[in-house]
Amino acid sequence: EDALLPVPQNISILSTNMKHFLTWSPVIVQGETVRYSVEFQGEYERDYANESWIPICECSLITVTVCNITEDISATVAYNLRVRTELGARRSEWGTLKASLTPPLMKVTADGYHLLVELEDMGPAVQFCVVYWKKGQESWMQQKVVKDVSSVVHLDSMEAGADYCVKAQTYVEAINRSSSFSQTQCVRVQGDMSMWMVTALISS
Amino acid sequence: TAGNRTFHFGPCRVSISMTEIRSGFTAIKANIQARDPIRTLSILSYPHSLHKGKSLDRCCITHHLFNFYVDKVFKHCKTEDHYINRKISSIANSFLSTKKSLQQCHEQNRCLCGQESTEKYNQILANYEGLDVTSAAMKSLGELDILLDWLE
Amino acid sequence: SGQLYCSLPNPRNVHFESINMKNVLHWSAPESTGEGVLYKVKYSVYGVGKWIRKPECGNINRTWCDLSNETSDYEEQYYASVKAFLNGMCSEWVETTRFNPLTDTRIDPPIVSVSSTEKSISIILTAPEKWKRSPEEESVSLCQVYPGLQYNVSVLNKQTKKRWWFSISNNTLVVPRLEPGTVYCVSAQIHVTTPLLLSGFSKEHCIATLKDK
Repeated sequence: EDALLPVPQNISILSTNMKHFLTWSPVIVQGETVRYSVEFQGEYERDYANESWIPICECSLITVTVCNITEDISATVAYNLRVRTELGARRSEWGTLKASLTPPLMKVTADGYHLLVELEDMGPAVQFCVVYWKKGQESWMQQKVVKDVSSVVHLDSMEAGADYCVKAQTYVEAINRSSSFSQTQCVRVQGDMSMWMVTALISS
Repeated sequence: TAGNRTFHFGPCRVSISMTEIRSGFTAIKANIQARDPIRTLSILSYPHSLHKGKSLDRCCITHHLFNFYVDKVFKHCKTEDHYINRKISSIANSFLSTKKSLQQCHEQNRCLCGQESTEKYNQILANYEGLDVTSAAMKSLGELDILLDWLE
Repeated sequence: SGQLYCSLPNPRNVHFESINMKNVLHWSAPESTGEGVLYKVKYSVYGVGKWIRKPECGNINRTWCDLSNETSDYEEQYYASVKAFLNGMCSEWVETTRFNPLTDTRIDPPIVSVSSTEKSISIILTAPEKWKRSPEEESVSLCQVYPGLQYNVSVLNKQTKKRWWFSISNNTLVVPRLEPGTVYCVSAQIHVTTPLLLSGFSKEHCIATLKDK
C-alpha cells in the first residue's frame, strides 16, 4: 500500500494556440483515479529564494495530464518544471523538466502582388522570426519579426512572375530559446495580370 | 522582439521584457498597493522623483535598482495568495534576467557610476531601511510602475 | 453642538476616469441618502505628506470633480478622496486607489486622412493631444508622451472583402500595387506596447483608387 507511486514519464512542453502546455504520460494504477500536481521554479527561485518551487494552483490534484504554464514561464531565464503523481496520501517522486520549443505552423499566400503569411497562434510569450526571399536569390533573404499573429500578416510586395519562399521559427523570450525553422513554403505571383483582375474576369 | 525593449545606456545595451513585467504588475498592482497604507512616504520618489536625476547616471541607477529589487525586495513579498505569488515570480525572474545583463555591462566598464547615482541609491536605501522590512518590500513592489515609467 | 457627526454612509466607487490624461474624479452617492447630499474633494501626491483641498469642488452636489490640472504631472502618482455631507451629518473620507496618469488613462483613436492615386493609397494618422489647461497652452501629442506609440491600420478591399493589417510606428503609410477603380476602407487604432494601452478603432474612411487611364 505504501509503495511509492510511479513518476510521470515523457514530460514535455507543447506550444500551441499562443499557449505553452506541460504534458506527460498518464500513470496507471488499477482501479484508482490518479491525480497530478505541477510546480515551477525560475532562476530567481533557484538562486535567490532558497531553491523554492511554486505550485500552479490550476494544476494541483488534477486528473488530466496537461497543464497551462504560459503565464508562469514568461521571463527570459531558465525554468525548471516538475510534476508528481498523487493518490490519497501517497505521492510519487517529482519528474522534472527544463523548457524547450517547436517550430510554428505556417500558411503562405500570394494575393495579387502581395506576399502574405498566417502563423499558428502559439501563446502570448511567443514571437516569430519570418524569413523570405525571391527564389534563386537565397543570399538576399529578408527577415521580419512578427509579434501579433491574430491576423494575416503582410510581408512584402512582389515582382510579377517570380517565386517567393518563406520559412519561420518561434522565439520565446521566457526561455530565451528559438525553435528550428519550419518547412519552407514557396508561392508564385501571377504574371502581369493581377489576381483580382483574373477573379473579376472569371466572376463577371 | 515582442515585449522586449532594448535600452541604450551609452555603450551598455540591455533588453528588458517590459510588456511581461508591466502585465505582471498590472495584475497585482491594486492588491499590493492596498497593503501599503503609508501615503506620505515613497521609497523611490522621496524626497526627489527619479525623473529629476541627470541622465548621465541612468545606467548605474538602473543597475542599482534592479539589484535592489532582486536582492532585497521580492523575497520579502510572499503573500497568502498563490496567484499573486506567481505573478511576483514572473516579475522577479524578468528582473533577474535584466540584472544579469546590467551586471555584464558593469563588469565591462560600460555602466559607470557617478556621485549622483550613489547618492540617489543611498537615499533609496535610507527610505527602505526607515520601515520594517515587510512594509518596505511591499511599498517598493507597489512602486514598480514608478521605476518602469522612469525607465521608459 | 456644531461637531459634525460622521455616520452618513460613505460615497461609493470613488475612482478616476481619464481620457488623454484629462483626469476626472467620479463617485456614486452614498446609499439611500436621497437628495441634498453635498461633497468635498481633496487630493494628494503620493509620497508627499499633504492632502490638498480642491476649492472648486467644495460643497458641490454633483458626483464628479475635474482634477486634470492638479494631476497633470504624469511623473507623479496621486490619491483623491471624497467626503459627503447631509443635514449636519457627514461620511468618512473615501479614497481612490493610487492613480498613475501615465498607465491609467485611456487614449482616443487616431485621426485618419486618406488620399489615393491609380494604384496606391496614402494614409496619414494623427494621435490625440494630451489634455491641456487652456487652448493657448502648447499642445503635446501623445506620441511625445509614449515613445513606443504605434498604429494598427486595417485596409479593407471592399470588392474582395479582404482585409490586411499593418503595424507602423511612424504616422504615414502608403499601400502600393493596388487595383485601380477599387474602393478601400481604412481604420486605425493606437497601440502602446508598454505600458499597454489600446485605443478604440477610428471611424472607417473609404476611398477609391483612380480608374485606369
